[in-house]
Amino acid sequence: MENFASLLHGFGVALSTYHIILMMVGVLLGILVGVLPGLGAPNGVSLLLPLTFTMDPVAAIILLTSMYWGALFGGSTTSILFNIPGEPSSVATTFDGYPMARQGQATKALTLAFLSAGFGALVGVILITVLSTWVAKFALRFSSPEYFAVYFLAFASFIGLGAASPFKTVVSMGLGFAFASVGMDTVSGGLRLTFGFNELLSGISFLIAVIGLFGLGELMITMEEGLRFDGIRARVKVRDVLKTIATLPRYWVTLLRSAAIGCWMGVTPGGPTAASFMSYGLAKRLSRRKEGFGKGEPEGVVAPETADHAAGSSAILPMLALGVPGSATAAVMMGGLMIWGLNPGPMLFIERPDFVWGLIASMYLGNIVAVLMVLATIPLFASILRIPFAIIGPVIVVVCFIGAYTVAGRPFDLWLALAFGVVGYLFKKLDYPIAPLVLAMVLGDKAEDAFRQSMIMSRGSLSIFWSNGLVTTIMLIGLALALGPILSTLFGRLTKPKASSAVA
Amino acid sequence: MISRYSAEIGTATLTAGLGLAAVIGALEFGIGWGDAGPESGTFPFYMGLLVVAASVGTIIQATVGRKGLQSVFLHKEEAMRVASFFLPMLAFVVVSLLLGLYVATALYLAFVMWAQGKYRPVVSIASGIAAAVGFYLLLEFAFQVPILKGPLEAALGIY
Repeated sequence: MENFASLLHGFGVALSTYHIILMMVGVLLGILVGVLPGLGAPNGVSLLLPLTFTMDPVAAIILLTSMYWGALFGGSTTSILFNIPGEPSSVATTFDGYPMARQGQATKALTLAFLSAGFGALVGVILITVLSTWVAKFALRFSSPEYFAVYFLAFASFIGLGAASPFKTVVSMGLGFAFASVGMDTVSGGLRLTFGFNELLSGISFLIAVIGLFGLGELMITMEEGLRFDGIRARVKVRDVLKTIATLPRYWVTLLRSAAIGCWMGVTPGGPTAASFMSYGLAKRLSRRKEGFGKGEPEGVVAPETADHAAGSSAILPMLALGVPGSATAAVMMGGLMIWGLNPGPMLFIERPDFVWGLIASMYLGNIVAVLMVLATIPLFASILRIPFAIIGPVIVVVCFIGAYTVAGRPFDLWLALAFGVVGYLFKKLDYPIAPLVLAMVLGDKAEDAFRQSMIMSRGSLSIFWSNGLVTTIMLIGLALALGPILSTLFGRLTKPKASSAVA
Repeated sequence: MISRYSAEIGTATLTAGLGLAAVIGALEFGIGWGDAGPESGTFPFYMGLLVVAASVGTIIQATVGRKGLQSVFLHKEEAMRVASFFLPMLAFVVVSLLLGLYVATALYLAFVMWAQGKYRPVVSIASGIAAAVGFYLLLEFAFQVPILKGPLEAALGIY
């Protein structure tokens, strides 16, 4: 019950007028980036992060996590009303959400999406509340080899659970590690991989990579597809909302199953996107109304939304307790924690309990705020998409580049962001996963330090990764995941995004 | 027209090149055992090797499954749309570095609105300037984050 006491303390930290206002601002900004094409949760958090450097860490993390919730909700809104997923993780919501909206059930679809998303997020936060102290305590026993094994496990699960070709996942991950190693070597303090360019001395920031890969790359894809918004006008009527709430208990099996899938995929770095597809696939397979799926089946909205948000919130657990983020956005936030001078991992629970529990409490509050705000403001945000793209597109581009400049105030970063934009475009078109690259860039130094310290401990023998029960178990799970592509072929067909080949 | 196959091979070659760059760059700093454990080139060296190996894997996979990849990667029409978005963006970066971000923002917005949005020149230019001023007030005053400025701001005495 000590968690409960800590949580109450956390509410004490989080519940202040200032923090509630930050939550509302964060949620609104989040819905905005979620609705706008090209800006998503990871990118939005990256753009906002440099502006929070001077803030108190608790306030800053509340702002950023609220933005994350808002972005997840915004992404589902455009999926349902415009058939355009604002976020990769809400692609599965378009399958049934858009048909529902076209049949005049937009309010029902939106309400179901928001409520099941809220439920999923709540389950994720409860999971964090119950498990985080335990995981953190367990992780206190970790030393360098165990940490390296956990990082290995994280990347192995990308290979095993991801829908993309394992080769492409490895390329993405390896490039992330290579980019992370440019600049100063944290162990020896020397410089490396700068190839004689002064601009590379301070390394390549993961924030620039996220802005380019997720922001500019995504915009180029959007442009190429030729943007057409066939929006469905939605006026959220209170009576319809209440009626829909009454139908929600009917989907309890789907809700619980999807929340479980989401939590699992969020804690392991499968991420929200994989979770929502997997949950949709399972709901379809197990449903009694299989033929209704794809034509506007409410269960087809509930399942991906619940899993998406459960994964999104539970991705915070490994980030806080182990220092291994479970999604690209969590990776960006973890990078933020390190910039604020906090070291994510078990020691954070001992050194900064106010921060940890304030964050967890704010996740409860933030999600409630988010559900209310999103129901209230959706018509407003939906109208943003009616602004012509010739105006909104360039504004997003400008915001991305200004964001890239504010990271370190280096003109060279503008070129880097542009280059990452091109890479992001190619990677998206060819089904390379981008999350492993971002995760590798954030974790690069930590993973390398863990590896080198392990090597020093063992005098250069790899056998240290099999030296005790704990590290052996983690390594074995990692190997099993990496070599378990059976799972990915099972879901691979379903989760493959619409490749360009399908268009031709 | 570019086929999916050539796009796959091209991208895999690019990633292999980046991996190779990491390998060559790492060799300069030693990949053996130094005074303080593995030398600083070790980790990037093996990561580079991994990238090269996986890129080769992708190339082999693409070549074996070549028949399935004959579809079109980029239509001419799509390529035009991407170019019409990318080239102004490239120009925006170049102009930003020469004249600062605010001036570039105004020019870029005005140009895209006029050329692609078919707005009247007056409306486009006014919107561009309004957006630049808006960003200026937001960044320099609300957030107090100075961003890249050019000769125009210097002439106006704004720092």
